[in-house]
Amino acid sequence: MLMAKKKTSSYIPMDSPIDRLHPMVKIYAIFCLGISALVCPTFILSYVLVIFLFIVAWKAKLFKKFAKFIIGFAIPITVMLLFIHGLYSPKNVTYIANFGFARLGLEGTMYAIKLVGGLLVFLGSFLLMTTTTHPGKLVTALIESGMNPKVGYLVLASLNIVPQMQRRMIIIKEAQMARGVEVEGKLLTRATAFIPLIGPLVMSSLVDVQERGMTLETRGFGAKGVKTTSYIEVVERPVDRLIKRLLVVFLAITVVASILARLIR
Amino acid sequence: MNKQLEVSNLSFRYSDTKQKAIADINFTVDEGEFFCIIGQNESGKSTLCSALVGLVPFYFTGKMKGDVVVLGENTRKSSVATLASKIGFVFQNPFNQLSYTTVSVAEELAYGLGNLGIEREEMHRRVERIAGLMRVDHLLNKSPLELSGGQVQRVAIGSAFIMQPKILVLDECTTQLDPLGSEEVFDVVKALNGEGITVIMADHDMERVARCADHILVLDGGKQVAVGTPAEIFSDPSIRQHSIEPPDFVTIGRRLREEGLYSGDITLTEEAAITAAKGALVR
Repeated sequence: MLMAKKKTSSYIPMDSPIDRLHPMVKIYAIFCLGISALVCPTFILSYVLVIFLFIVAWKAKLFKKFAKFIIGFAIPITVMLLFIHGLYSPKNVTYIANFGFARLGLEGTMYAIKLVGGLLVFLGSFLLMTTTTHPGKLVTALIESGMNPKVGYLVLASLNIVPQMQRRMIIIKEAQMARGVEVEGKLLTRATAFIPLIGPLVMSSLVDVQERGMTLETRGFGAKGVKTTSYIEVVERPVDRLIKRLLVVFLAITVVASILARLIR
Repeated sequence: MNKQLEVSNLSFRYSDTKQKAIADINFTVDEGEFFCIIGQNESGKSTLCSALVGLVPFYFTGKMKGDVVVLGENTRKSSVATLASKIGFVFQNPFNQLSYTTVSVAEELAYGLGNLGIEREEMHRRVERIAGLMRVDHLLNKSPLELSGGQVQRVAIGSAFIMQPKILVLDECTTQLDPLGSEEVFDVVKALNGEGITVIMADHDMERVARCADHILVLDGGKQVAVGTPAEIFSDPSIRQHSIEPPDFVTIGRRLREEGLYSGDITLTEEAAITAAKGALVR
């Protein structure tokens, strides 16, 4: 029998050095590492950064979860991008394989590999951020950095939406199973069960949104002329400031080097 | 007694309907009162409760006439967020009252305080106090989603009460709970009223209403049918025309009176009904 999971967010408290980093350090990491991976002319930097993220995941005691995500995402996306760019990119001049129905071009393949690397860096660092950062601390840090509290709520709600929908989906599945609907088993059975599950999921979410909006209003959300405060304290340590600076310097160096490399070509 | 809430000629029609949801409602609530709103389904209880806290007209659009004045502030000239520190609101569905932005009960209780800009130290003090009052102090580190319905509803009441409103409005807050959860929640509400908080509660449980209310407002089809003390309301036989069944204890006393076996006051509580029945047995 399924049991409805009761997590409110994707945060996994692990008491690791990565957990203890200031949330803004992780935000900086997403942008600095991600943009660096994208602007660098070669794909090598992307995959070096992916290896770096694996080390960070290990330090965060989340190696297995991180590896599962990266491999689970990387394989299908690589196949898809190789198919699109490798076989049909207009940049293809040199061909490295012939499949009969199409030829695999070197330029398109290199571009696909670079794109996958950049995506893995962005998504991998985002995953590490969400799993190692207390949601309340994240939003507190963002608001202290100048973000509008309403936008802060949107960020939090967005981070929590997937676990909430998963929880709701489990409840709906159990309800449908109690009514004799087959929802488990072969792929075809599960695909057929999708429609009686998705309708109630969407409708119940929409109904709940209204009441949740009213609850927020009655809890003072959006009160005018008030500087919001937080129950949770977020403290920036000297090591957090240092890492942020190093990330910015890394990005700057990568951008400058990329520009120079393109000019030299 | 200090008048805390005044409703004058209040009517409201939702924007996509032709009929008024509530019409010509007039009543006042004094400080420290336990005021109940009763009526069958679709009688306008939830609409009235929403109007008391400003959700009508700010959240629900439509045509509103009349005024609701809460502690001297007209709800039309204020906002729901501003009124939140004067009048708190607890809904029917416990789980829809979670912010879904917190990972612990403590954070959930403190959520509203952050919106009001309360200092962190004061937040921690209030969370500790309210958690004790709501009997959730042993749950502070738990995720709100790990709680039972009754526990979540107590957290919801705590989340509203922590903002220190003088008035608490509860819209059928025990309807979706099991009997034990329902009693746990009601005990907390009574305790708050005992501390001087004015409680306005829409409820279906007539026994509870008869036992605790200082005054009752009866609604039918959006209209105000009667307002008075429990004795006045439940002793009026015409109340049945509005699909309101008096509590069984009242019916017992009435039947004994009809048989000439009891001549005392209306039996609003179990104890009064038992006393009346014992007296009748002796006769």
